[in-house]
Amino acid sequence: MSIFWISIGMGLSVAAILALSAVAFTLEYAVSRVVNLAHGEVLTIGAYSAYVGETNFHLNLYVCAVVATLAGALTGMLLNFSLIEQFRNQKPLVTLIATLGASLILQNLLLIIFGGASVSYGFAQGNLLHVGPFLWTVLTIKVMISTVIVAALVYLMIQRTRIGKALRAVAQNRDLARVSGIPARQIVMHTWALSGAVSGFAGFLYGETVGTITPSIGNGFLLLSITAAVGGGLGRPYATLGGALVLGLVMSIAGTYTSSAYQLVIAFGFLVLMLLIKPNGIFVRGKAQMVRA
Amino acid sequence: MLQYWTAILTEASIFGILALGIDMIWGWAGDFDLSAYAYFALGVYMTMVLTIGKPSSPVVYILGYHLPYPLAVVLAVVVVVAFAAIIGAVALRSLREVYFSITTLGAVWAIYYLVENYTPLFNGYNGVYGLFDPMGPGLSYATYHYLFFGGCLVVLFLVYLVVQRLSRSPFGRMIRAVRDDERAASVYGRNVFWAKYRTYLFGAGLAGLAGGLFAAYIGAFNPLDWKPTEIFVLYAAILVGGRGNPRGVIAGSFIVYVGFVELTRYIPSPAARPELGPALRQILIGVLIILMLKFRPAGIFPERLGTDGTEAKRSLKNFLRRREPESVAITVATPVVSDPGNGVTA
Repeated sequence: MSIFWISIGMGLSVAAILALSAVAFTLEYAVSRVVNLAHGEVLTIGAYSAYVGETNFHLNLYVCAVVATLAGALTGMLLNFSLIEQFRNQKPLVTLIATLGASLILQNLLLIIFGGASVSYGFAQGNLLHVGPFLWTVLTIKVMISTVIVAALVYLMIQRTRIGKALRAVAQNRDLARVSGIPARQIVMHTWALSGAVSGFAGFLYGETVGTITPSIGNGFLLLSITAAVGGGLGRPYATLGGALVLGLVMSIAGTYTSSAYQLVIAFGFLVLMLLIKPNGIFVRGKAQMVRA
Repeated sequence: MLQYWTAILTEASIFGILALGIDMIWGWAGDFDLSAYAYFALGVYMTMVLTIGKPSSPVVYILGYHLPYPLAVVLAVVVVVAFAAIIGAVALRSLREVYFSITTLGAVWAIYYLVENYTPLFNGYNGVYGLFDPMGPGLSYATYHYLFFGGCLVVLFLVYLVVQRLSRSPFGRMIRAVRDDERAASVYGRNVFWAKYRTYLFGAGLAGLAGGLFAAYIGAFNPLDWKPTEIFVLYAAILVGGRGNPRGVIAGSFIVYVGFVELTRYIPSPAARPELGPALRQILIGVLIILMLKFRPAGIFPERLGTDGTEAKRSLKNFLRRREPESVAITVATPVVSDPGNGVTA
């Protein structure tokens, strides 16, 4: 039984990072109706900027976190400006293919700049701590606390600020929002900056937890983020949070009893199951219908 | 130099077959399928394990027969189609557009990691390799390669004939109608799922066939050298050539594939940075995909559809037969004042 609880604890720590990444992904979908296949690369850029900050400029790791966040925000804005807005009036599928191209470009730019070998940065993992039935390291606890803080900040921003209100309006209907006097273009840009910042921070946390980073780490994480977002409810930030939590737990529990190498296989099984049973997402009310975004 | 060009053109014709398969699913049916790589790779693996014989330890893989090459390719295609039947049934049943793409993206990476980590299947990371001579023994290295190139060209041509025929057949018109307006097609009594499903299986079968040819060509296949991103060049090729136009797709794969190999050939790849050349190539592919989507989404040779949905035939005969549209007399209907009382005849 204790192994079960330990795997639940691991699941929560995986779910924490996954939640940030998936929420960022879902926010991008909400305002731009784009399935951003270059999302994983924003995480990778976050991780690498933290790495550069630590090795080349000898920054404090907390400063590195800020650097990663800023780099992510910049990448998000750049993606929106140079790519997403260019394909604004196209079908979502066209934008998806375009982001596939962007993903190739970004990933291989990183490969050229940093090389294919894995690099590392980060805190020591710290002591093992028993918290209730769970077994965590000091590092995982720090990671989880910081994700809760970031998620709370995102929640406050969406729910309590003027920009957040405008964001929700644009997500519902961009044209209607525009005729009501909301500067939709700027709001979309802000959203991409926000989601890029969250992704950059998530990438930083991921690199820190895993210990080593390569230019392709974001790629595996992209699929998990998509699964969490679609499983929970694509375009709905809170449903996505729930989806990430469920997915993290499912993966960890299943991984404990099989092998962690099959994480993505399990995630895909979960995705298929969700799409077959409840294609609109677990946490979205309403009956299943043919999904054609 | 001649052998170099033979090698490149052989690869280009194999990829032309694969591109035709992808284009049936993407161009005709409008479903952007990312798992074509899985079908291609499965075709390669199945052909290999059916022809190279029993594995010798420490290498492990399933089957391990010594079948004749053509039979092995046929069986490989059958396996690929059966496999595509499962993924297609899941992805096409009620999912469209981005949801379909997401599902196939998930499928391809899940399969990739499964093959990489589950060694008993296809020997995991190390992959499957082995020598076999589909053309029979007793040929010199060069002759073999010329013959194999010829064989690939013949297969490509046959596939082209079938695909072009299919494209102009009622089926080709129907699947495009389904692509352009699913609801209207279904109102006219077309079974949308069945149409898309058949196209999907056919396209996957072509990918498996290309994999079968590729197996004989490279003789070794492993997941590290053959990541799913390797075939994104074909998406660029299809975009350049023109989605939905078989001729354009073949032209596109030759132009883009040979173009990329030639362009990146002179980039120095120092021993310390072996990834430089391939990385630059991938970047160029990404740029090409985005630029084509933005500025010429229909490609160089766009899909030409006549009024009846078939590709307009541009033959001399049709050109000479075409007449100027006759001027139509515009008749203005004079309103008839109807009198309900009169005009009623018993």
